[in-house]
Amino acid sequence: MNATAVIASEFTRVVKFFWQELKPRGKWLTPFNVISIPVIVVGLIILYFRFVYGLGSVTNLSQEFPWGLWIGFDVVTGVAFAGGSYVITFVVYVMRIEKYHSIVRVTVLNGLLAYIFYAGALVLDLGRPWHIINPIIGNSFGYNSVLFLVSWHFLLYMIAMAVEFSPVVAEWAQLERVRKFLSGLTLAAVIFGITLSILHQSGLGALFLMAKPKIHPLWYSEFIPILFFVSSVYAGLSMIIFEGTISHRVFRNLIGGHDHHRYEEIVLGLAKGAAITMFVYYFFQALIFIHEERWQLITDFWGYWYLVEVLGFVLVPCFMFAYAVRNRSLGLVKVASVMALLGIILNRLNVSVIAFRWYAVNKYYPSWEEIVVTLMVVFTEIWVFRWIVTRMPVFSKA
Amino acid sequence: MEFYTYVNIFETKGLEYLLLLSFLALFILLVRYLSAPKGKRRVPEGKPPRTTN
Repeated sequence: MNATAVIASEFTRVVKFFWQELKPRGKWLTPFNVISIPVIVVGLIILYFRFVYGLGSVTNLSQEFPWGLWIGFDVVTGVAFAGGSYVITFVVYVMRIEKYHSIVRVTVLNGLLAYIFYAGALVLDLGRPWHIINPIIGNSFGYNSVLFLVSWHFLLYMIAMAVEFSPVVAEWAQLERVRKFLSGLTLAAVIFGITLSILHQSGLGALFLMAKPKIHPLWYSEFIPILFFVSSVYAGLSMIIFEGTISHRVFRNLIGGHDHHRYEEIVLGLAKGAAITMFVYYFFQALIFIHEERWQLITDFWGYWYLVEVLGFVLVPCFMFAYAVRNRSLGLVKVASVMALLGIILNRLNVSVIAFRWYAVNKYYPSWEEIVVTLMVVFTEIWVFRWIVTRMPVFSKA
Repeated sequence: MEFYTYVNIFETKGLEYLLLLSFLALFILLVRYLSAPKGKRRVPEGKPPRTTN
């Protein structure tokens, strides 16, 4: 058989393989499908109107409130939730703590999908979405803009995570030589990715530095990039615990018995990391509070709201994590992780939406279309995640 | 004649230093608290730990 015939035969095999894998598996009538499919369909219809008639046709955004739920939740919060990827790869590949090796693949996949969908949701929010390519192709680079840094970092970090995850795809496609080559790139991609992550997690906070007069002084600080970075660490760890809990239940048959056994130790280890990071974050907040003499600001509604966020959704889950680790209580760890995630949502929305132009008479409230599109983004990501983990060797050790 | 003035801890950085010192002390306590989980298996007294040759 000549070379052309071999290539043609291999190509046919790959096409047949992908076609087989594209076919749906499992039951269709599940509660998740029943809820998510209508939301995704309605979301797509709304997106049609958004791109044909503009942002104003489906959102409550205005010149006074140019950033709403899509930026505040999808981009700013979603990227913080994806922080688990760089934390775990750092722990496993740089610190060489093998205990967490079994969750590297699924965490990187979660991070990659979060960036593709949540950072990708940025396109929805741009008035002229085709301009998103400008910082990349050099049409008005904007070297002095934080957005320039963030856009480049998003792109490069997505490439780094794709490289980190690529051995799994090669293993799935049974391309052994390619898998070996891609595995050799992992460590470089991890180090590159960690560097990028630290910079753009804080860069997202730096976006708000120029909005000093618009953000309530309890949420504005020149240290906001550091706060965003530190909080992304425990946001990522909490997200791994939360997603791991769901995956452990839903994809039980895909996770090996050995990993079931080690699951408890992994969760407690992650909770310990989250408790320590939240403690550090809380003290940063306290230090900034005292340094900027905010005492007189906590006597009104905004002050109480700030205390709810910092005490109720940072300090309380921090102690819950610590108590749960000490007493080996997995249930409490799960509750604490949900509270920590709610705290992150609250913090990011406070900075970008709720306490943004807090003095304005006409407030911004997201329209129902914005909420449906946000849910659509989340559900679509879960669909893609489910498709990948039921086909590729995601839950096996790298 | 010597004059004494009270240092206002709110106007100086005194409170920030106190906070940092308390943070360091509490951080050590937290790490110690987390490092010794209650439920960890202990070797019973009087029984030597099992060794492998």
